[in-house]
Amino acid sequence: MHNGIIIGAGPAGLTAAVTCAENGLDVIVLDEYMRAGGRLLGQLYEQPDGKWWNGIKESERLFQQAVDLGVQFRFGTAVSNIEYLDDMWVIYTEKEVLQTSNLLLATGAAESPVPVPGWTLPGVMSVGAAQVMTNVHRVKPGERGVIIGINVLSAAIAMELQLAGVEVASLTLPRMSEVTDVEAHPKEVMDSLLHVSHMAPSPFVKLGSKFMKGDFMKKMGAAFYPKNGVKMWDIPIQLRKAVIEIYGENQVEGVTLATINSKGDVVPGTEENIAADFVCIAGGLYPLAELAAIAGCPFYLVEELGGYVPLHSEEMETTLDGLYVAGNITGIEGAKVAAAQGHVAGLSIARNNGIRSLDYKIMDAIQHVKTTRDHAYIQFHPQIQKGRSKIQDQWNTYQRNVQEV
Amino acid sequence: MQKNNMIICRCEEVTYADLKKTKEKYNCTARELKLRTRAGMGYCGGRTCRSAVDKIASSLEKQKEKDIIPLKYQPPVRPVSFADLGGEHK
Ligand SMILES: Cc1cc2nc3c(=O)[nH]c(=O)nc-3n(C[C@H](O)[C@H](O)[C@H](O)COP(=O)(O)OP(=O)(O)OC[C@H]3O[C@@H](n4cnc5c(N)ncnc54)[C@H](O)[C@@H]3O)c2cc1C
Ligand code: FES
Repeated sequence: MHNGIIIGAGPAGLTAAVTCAENGLDVIVLDEYMRAGGRLLGQLYEQPDGKWWNGIKESERLFQQAVDLGVQFRFGTAVSNIEYLDDMWVIYTEKEVLQTSNLLLATGAAESPVPVPGWTLPGVMSVGAAQVMTNVHRVKPGERGVIIGINVLSAAIAMELQLAGVEVASLTLPRMSEVTDVEAHPKEVMDSLLHVSHMAPSPFVKLGSKFMKGDFMKKMGAAFYPKNGVKMWDIPIQLRKAVIEIYGENQVEGVTLATINSKGDVVPGTEENIAADFVCIAGGLYPLAELAAIAGCPFYLVEELGGYVPLHSEEMETTLDGLYVAGNITGIEGAKVAAAQGHVAGLSIARNNGIRSLDYKIMDAIQHVKTTRDHAYIQFHPQIQKGRSKIQDQWNTYQRNVQEV
Repeated sequence: MQKNNMIICRCEEVTYADLKKTKEKYNCTARELKLRTRAGMGYCGGRTCRSAVDKIASSLEKQKEKDIIPLKYQPPVRPVSFADLGGEHK
């Protein structure tokens, strides 16, 4: 029996484990991957202060800290089911069944697919896969690639690919259809891109953020956006073009691009081929909350947080006894915010285990999440704060309703 | 390649046209669309295609339900071998 079990060894789960252990709890961390770090592993970039953020080193540091404090780890262990039986959470993995009264879900995020004709050809991968190949395994995904889907993550990964000596021939949109939505809309994409401005030395994006504030200006921006695109870190960004097909005999040989109007419709006769030996699909991230859904958590759809998120409090509790959430399962944000949330969850679990006088520490930790968010280098949604208050409101309403009943 | 031949669910090889036709014919919910076509019921458990299947199913409905996840999650959320299910390892 453990005082707590944590599913997910990303920044949220690792930080929670460290916090629990510091408070004298006996915790175990389960992760389906073979090493600690989660999505932190793939991150490698220069921060505004000139220091490098090296996800592999950061992961090792957190992991070592946890191990030194006596935290146990089980890697290669996927959790396939959880249920609440006789006041205990029962956790089913392939080989064993574990029990605890405090369970933290820190399962992170997953990538949304964007189906494009030809996307089943070998050489097509998600942009996250290209990031892991390049930064974790140090294997080039190819020599020259096209990224379909323009968002904060794909812009950041395009830059990382380039640093690794891989040519990015174009960053472009998918063609609009029933299976794509905002990611195929030039205007929406423009809107979200303005928020990478602080990452970009490019005058275009910097200019953009000044002039594109109003909705009207954004529409004009997409309409007047130069047909041949602009360059960010020397990578052509094409908001006026969309990929209508990925072609190749046995593997990717290139993509067919066509001009689109500001509504996202294809202008006939404008098709052209671009050679490439790999293609990345970037449909954005959504919270990976399957286990919370199975457990019976109420959910709420918050676009700003990336999709359906389990209702939770600022203390990281869910509406279910002894079940907590932290990190990207609560909304898509950067690794530092995830870690800060993990710290809060760890303290809440310690308090629930009877460790006293943690109330002030928890308040401080919640404040720290907010400050970290305000200073975040990567913001996945421009209105993240708004999303956070929405879920807080839903939580309050839920609590009031429960009290009335 | 035509947009219609585009595969949406790789595990079960269900195309865009299959899904669209089924949706139009039966005017079905995300769950019914899944059961009729097997999209989302393959080895990956729908991890690759679920949001696309969902989008096709919900493109008729005007307003998304904010507090109901369209396609239900069911255990096991990861593949489990028969040997493990059958309790061969004790
Ligand atoms: C492809 C991709 C690229 C990203 N790139 C960046 C970036 O460049 N910069 C940035 O700031 N943020 C990036 N992010 C956001 C990233 O999610 C956060 O930075 C951070 O890693 C979130 O931490 P977390 O602890 O919540 O989850 P994660 O780091 O995702 O960790 C979750 C862990 O849970 C495990 N897990 C999930 N389900 C199960 C299960 N059922 N059983 C067992 N284990 C399970 C996973 O194996 C994983 O190790 C990226 C996210 C993705 C998906
Ligand atoms: S892609 Fe549809 S179930 Fe795997």
